[in-house]
Amino acid sequence: MESMEPIGREIARRSAITYTAISLLAALLFFGAATWKGGYSEVARWGGAAWVFLLSMIVTMPLVTAYYRKRGRRTSIGGA
Amino acid sequence: MALQQVSLPILGMSCASCAATIEGVLKGIDGVARVQVNVNGGRALVAYEPERVNLARLVAAIQEVGYQVATAQTTLQISGMTCASCVAHVEGALRELEGVLQATVHLGLGLARVEYIPGLVTPAQMIRAVQAVGYEARVQEEGVSALDREREARQREIRRQGLYLLFAAPLALLVMLGTFREYWILPAIVPEWLGYKWVLALLTTPVVLGPGRQFFVNSWRGLRHGVTDMNLLYATGIGAAYGIALINTFFPKAGFGGEGATFFESAALLTAFIVLGRFLEAVTRGRTSEAIRKLMKLQPKRARVLRDGQEIEVPVEEVIVGDLILVRPGEQIPVDGVVVEGYSAVDESMLTGESMPVEKRPGDEVIGGTMNKTGAFKFRATRVGAETALAQIIRLVEEAQASKAPIQKLADWVAGHFILGVHLLAILVFVFWFFVGYERFFDPNSAFLLSPYRLGEIGVFGFSLLLSVTVLVISCPCAVGLATPSAIMAGTGKAAEHGVLFKNAEAIENATKLTTIVFDKTGTLTRGEPSVTDVIAVEGVTPEEVLWWAALAEKNSEHPLGEAVLRAARARGLEIPDAEAFQAIPGHGVEARYQGERILLGNRKLMREHGIDLSGLQPQAEALEREGKTVMFLARSDQALGLLAVADTLKPYAIEAIRRLQAMGLKVVMLTGDNRRTAEAIARQLGIDRVLAEVLPQDKAAEIRRLQQEGHRVAMVGDGVNDAPALAQADVGIAIGSGTDIAKETGHVILIREDLRDVVVALDIARATMRKVKENLFWAFIYNTVSIPIAAGVLYPAFRVVVSPEWAAFLMALSSLTVTLNTLRMRGYVPALRREERATVRAHPVAASAPSGQ
Repeated sequence: MESMEPIGREIARRSAITYTAISLLAALLFFGAATWKGGYSEVARWGGAAWVFLLSMIVTMPLVTAYYRKRGRRTSIGGA
Repeated sequence: MALQQVSLPILGMSCASCAATIEGVLKGIDGVARVQVNVNGGRALVAYEPERVNLARLVAAIQEVGYQVATAQTTLQISGMTCASCVAHVEGALRELEGVLQATVHLGLGLARVEYIPGLVTPAQMIRAVQAVGYEARVQEEGVSALDREREARQREIRRQGLYLLFAAPLALLVMLGTFREYWILPAIVPEWLGYKWVLALLTTPVVLGPGRQFFVNSWRGLRHGVTDMNLLYATGIGAAYGIALINTFFPKAGFGGEGATFFESAALLTAFIVLGRFLEAVTRGRTSEAIRKLMKLQPKRARVLRDGQEIEVPVEEVIVGDLILVRPGEQIPVDGVVVEGYSAVDESMLTGESMPVEKRPGDEVIGGTMNKTGAFKFRATRVGAETALAQIIRLVEEAQASKAPIQKLADWVAGHFILGVHLLAILVFVFWFFVGYERFFDPNSAFLLSPYRLGEIGVFGFSLLLSVTVLVISCPCAVGLATPSAIMAGTGKAAEHGVLFKNAEAIENATKLTTIVFDKTGTLTRGEPSVTDVIAVEGVTPEEVLWWAALAEKNSEHPLGEAVLRAARARGLEIPDAEAFQAIPGHGVEARYQGERILLGNRKLMREHGIDLSGLQPQAEALEREGKTVMFLARSDQALGLLAVADTLKPYAIEAIRRLQAMGLKVVMLTGDNRRTAEAIARQLGIDRVLAEVLPQDKAAEIRRLQQEGHRVAMVGDGVNDAPALAQADVGIAIGSGTDIAKETGHVILIREDLRDVVVALDIARATMRKVKENLFWAFIYNTVSIPIAAGVLYPAFRVVVSPEWAAFLMALSSLTVTLNTLRMRGYVPALRREERATVRAHPVAASAPSGQ
């Protein structure tokens, strides 16, 4: 069981990097689109990007974590 | 390719060939890479690709070739589950554990049943896995103590949410009054200071951070482990409303709608409504499992045992098989047993649904948990502890309540993906209104639905965010997830109250789809033992004389027909002397001698061989034979005296049961090994028009299969032990008259009483339950289908109204509650037949007691 801990931490780290990156990308896209279209206040652009980031994090966190957990299990077993 | 390796404990291996068999079958499975079986160690080491084959398939393959993999079952009590997505998370966490074959979580009961391979996984690991996804778990304790703990936990939850509600509701009301103080008559009664934004902020903050804190804490705990649940919807809804309100109060120029669009009342009312929903759910959800609680309460605590001639009172756990137990009037029968002395009437209604007390004499069985009414008696304990009928019934009902109906698969899938789907939709709604909708459709004069509150100067971000939050708040996966299990729980409990035990939810669903119902004849529709039905005498002789002489001839016979004749004679009070000589003539009948006279009783062949003239009896004999009866002729001193007809007789209520089933639109078929003529005669009496006769016992299952291939959905009613293959083959196997030995039964449905009308009761309850399931699913789906698009703003372009978050919260709480309340309506449900029975008992209390069916 002890050897599972570093693997678990590694999965959590990779997951966090991935879903944060995806969410940031979504927020950036939103911000870019709002800036490109024009006519939005700073608050609207930044606030909107923050909201998109938050919701994207909520959507991607379970999906990405489950994906890495599944992959990690396969890798650790395959290596055993 | 990544391989997984397991060591499976195998039972039943005795030699190298067993090992070769298991190796052979496992290696034949697609996805298995290596197999090494150790006979001495009783284990199989298997390396397999988890992507292509799972552990359950490996276990099934081993079982198919006649070996067993040692498995165990445990039940975990899970706390912290609030909705169907929680069920999916807990099930997922358990199923991911290596060694877990099956995990079924029941939201209503707060239980997880896990089948696992000991050695590969332990209950402690399961508990850790459940805790890792944010819930609390512990191994369930058996019986009353578990019930007490479960009740205590529920009471604690009711108290907690009740206190939150008492705190949140008045504050939320004040915030609402303060927000709308300029409308209607409010300026006259609400002080001006209550409308100040900072006062509203002061009143709302304790509501959000107090009672609302649970949603933030729980959703964060889930998110840390990568799972989402209802708490997240609440937290994002409350958090967004509260956050916008704070920004608009302290930074009114920030572009969120300014001071005219603070949402303090949304945040406060949203919290209050959600807490109200939690409180009402905690109160009502426990009631759907009332049946099991009632059954558990029946478990007696003490017994009056006779040991060494002394009467001593002991805890029921100390009663052992063989103990002699004394029961006085008004006392509960502590365990199962057989009466050895005394006479009484026992109320068994709590277990069998039998409305009238059942008479008990020496030799009769008594069931633990039932109530002795009138007399005192002694009985010998035959089953104690977990073996008693009551313990078996409780176990069976619990298992059925925790099982899932096929219809639930869709609901589970929807509920499991609901939260993510709604958040995804919330992004889309936000993006649409931000980039397209606001510019095209926004009208400053537009208002919230059922509210005087105008949207006014709200900006594009505030408006898009508002609709996005409302989508999150209004959606309710709880209603979808609760729809089926709550109704199944109520239905199985209700069925148990009426002596009908459904083994799982699938049996309930299948019972509503039946087109054909097949009855085994002997022992099910008929008593399975011949009885004298007709006695015909020639001129100058009375029927009593015929019966007396026939009984005299048969007195020493062990033939079933002879026993039937003797029973009939004794039933008429005839005293039968011993014959002086007796001889059984196989295939013909019997010959006896009494006071020098020769008596012959048998078939035509016997009479013909002795030259007896039967011409006067032939017409009646042929008529009786056409009815499927067996005719025996009687002759004394070479003169025909008369004849006796013997037939298997119908069970009480058989005709009524068949008539009711036909009225329910079912086709009734009789299955028997008897010859066609006899079978058709019985079928005519019963009103059955299709007979499958001359079917050997081993071919019954094949006949059921044939009916299924013809497109029928078939239920088979029969003896749970002898008709086991046919019951298993049927879509629904109904084992009838199981009495107290429920564990032996193989059917999908077990009827405790021998009353054929209970088949009607079983189908009636199944139909009522599935009706409830469909009603619940309809309301749950229709609510979400209608409410989510409205919250997303589909009506806004046409009507210029949006749903406010507080209304969304109220509707969400209401929808979940509607499902629970609709299910609770089943508490008052009584099957039609039972209603009629009770009415008859009330109208004619004495007459109704005669045909008790026992």
